[in-house]
Amino acid sequence: MTSLGHWAGVLVTAPLVLLARAVDPLLRAWQRWTGIGGMAAFFLLPNLLIFGVFVLIPIVLNLAYSMTGGTEILLAQRPYVGGEQYARLLECQDYSRPLTCREDQFWTAARNTGLFVLFQVSLMVAVSLVTALILNREIKGRGFFRAVFFFPVLLSPVVVGLIWRWILQREGLLNLLVVNLGLEPQVWLNDRVTAFAAAVGVSTWAHMGFYTLILLAGLQAIPRDLYEAAEMDGTPPARVFRRITLPLLGPNLAVVLVLALIRGVQIFDEAYVLTGGGPGTSTLFLTQYIYEVGFASLLRNPGLAAAASMLMAGVLVVLTLVQLRLSRSSAGGQR
Amino acid sequence: MSQIALKGVTKSFGGVSVIHGVDLDIETGELVVFVGPSGCGKSTLLRLISGLDQPSAGAIEIDGRDVTRVSAADRGLAMVFQSYALYPHMTVRQNLSFGLENTRMAKAEVTGRVAEAARMLNIEPLLDRRPTQLSGGQRQRVAIGRAIVRNPTAFLLDEPLSNLDAELRVSMRAELAALHARLGTTMIYVTHDQIEAMTLASRIVVLRAGRVEQVARPLDLFNRPANLFVAGFIGAPSMNLFPTRAEGGTAALPGGRRVPMAGVPEGSEVTIGLRPQHLRLAQGNEPGFDLRIALIEALGTETVVHGELAGTSGDTPRRVFAILPGQPGVALGDILRLGFDEAYLHRFGPDGQRLVGPGRP
Repeated sequence: MTSLGHWAGVLVTAPLVLLARAVDPLLRAWQRWTGIGGMAAFFLLPNLLIFGVFVLIPIVLNLAYSMTGGTEILLAQRPYVGGEQYARLLECQDYSRPLTCREDQFWTAARNTGLFVLFQVSLMVAVSLVTALILNREIKGRGFFRAVFFFPVLLSPVVVGLIWRWILQREGLLNLLVVNLGLEPQVWLNDRVTAFAAAVGVSTWAHMGFYTLILLAGLQAIPRDLYEAAEMDGTPPARVFRRITLPLLGPNLAVVLVLALIRGVQIFDEAYVLTGGGPGTSTLFLTQYIYEVGFASLLRNPGLAAAASMLMAGVLVVLTLVQLRLSRSSAGGQR
Repeated sequence: MSQIALKGVTKSFGGVSVIHGVDLDIETGELVVFVGPSGCGKSTLLRLISGLDQPSAGAIEIDGRDVTRVSAADRGLAMVFQSYALYPHMTVRQNLSFGLENTRMAKAEVTGRVAEAARMLNIEPLLDRRPTQLSGGQRQRVAIGRAIVRNPTAFLLDEPLSNLDAELRVSMRAELAALHARLGTTMIYVTHDQIEAMTLASRIVVLRAGRVEQVARPLDLFNRPANLFVAGFIGAPSMNLFPTRAEGGTAALPGGRRVPMAGVPEGSEVTIGLRPQHLRLAQGNEPGFDLRIALIEALGTETVVHGELAGTSGDTPRRVFAILPGQPGVALGDILRLGFDEAYLHRFGPDGQRLVGPGRP
């Protein structure tokens, strides 16, 4: 077996070694010509190209579309309208009442997204923290539970949405259980409150493993000695949590908070598959609004969708800057 | 009545037994040092006394009270951790007062105790800094201060100087000794450093594989090691041990010199020990043994010679250490004839235990 493994290794590595030898003189010549900086640029180039084609150019194009009107798809065929789409989105008598706005659906989606972020992020941080605290204890089957909580993160959001729709729909698993218990079946996804709660809950379930992992890493980085010193001092558990665990977990909590905020603002796939934005517009979120205005409605308006995208991007940029700042300060500061 | 008493204390982790029935009495005001090689159980024993770990069997008493099942906080002890375990997000002042605040002590008293400890340890200017802004020695002081403010029955110190550089370790060692003298509080100190043990301890507890090998005052340990392990462990370089055989009330040393060996059956395997300090250059026709020099460590005030017994240079040359006073002007490869005074011989029986017999120490 050993020799089989050995020859398999040789077969795999030999072509790579030959390739490396072939390109080595070229790379050396390039480095002599451009220096270390040029070499670094050369290695970064593939990723920069991908970033440029799939992120940078679309952003610029999106900005251009947001300043055009009409229903044409090709940019060249669209008339320039300046900031008209933005003005249309922002035109409102009373921002707290979406129906008084010209683009009432945009403001409904914005309000729903705001509420979603508020509830989902609070729930996410709380649930992830509690889960991480439990998984950080020396409980039986700790490795198994860590895997179980992380598993939903590996699922496609569409699969998550479908699974929970099968559970929560009128003839779903939950109602089967409810009926078996002798209770009245509920229309979980057709009620404004329960549908919204389902979107919050399902999204939390799907992503909490990721945030739990970040918090667990933070908890494990807190030296055990600190807890033992507190134990010697007779510190009550609640005070240990408040005065030691929470402050030392602060940088991780901040990162979790901001990442969850960013993800919350972007909520789309699992909620769309789960509720389709309904009932009515009760689970219509910004990304779905943009998607529908730009692509899915009969009177599609790419310019308006692009303008809405730019406004949402503005919010995300601010949140990302906060996140970068937090992660830089937590990386630079010592625990 | 001893202040801290261990009675048959045993500790197992799963199926692995790490402390085997330790009995120990520590008197009020003593500075007892646990010393032993890595993995001997010295830190585990300290944690059992502290209450951070529970013994599998046996009892621990403090001031006559059985505290075996009493929580760490209620034993009245304070611990200084190897890593210092300072709360990194709190200032020095907050670190010092944190434990006292748990006891609902009046604020004025907390402030007073913190100020007193800070004054005693010369850390007053550091009170508003965080641990990351302190040097290793300053952190060490804060860790000790955190123990002092609690006014404990006894201090438990787990290798407190091991993270400091050599120079700082020497000065902190002196400070700790002075602190112990001033406070008069019982201290239990864990270290693997013999010099710390010898210089600080009222008594040293030598541990090996979870068992107490010997408890004695530092010089008694050096002069009268109870067995071969202690003889080899205490003293640097370690004692030269010569396995030999008892014949006709004597035993032969390398070079053929016979020394008295009473109290063991004829023909039994015995070991004779000689500290490197007690070897000297032989005078005239004085009997001794020849040593071929393999390494010289000239320290100025003395010279440490590593050598092989002449005539044993085959597969298993017998290593011998000798410490010669001053700078004797020897060179690698030289053959030295070394003599010794029989009064300095240590004799160990077939079971490795010290034999009570002729000669000191």
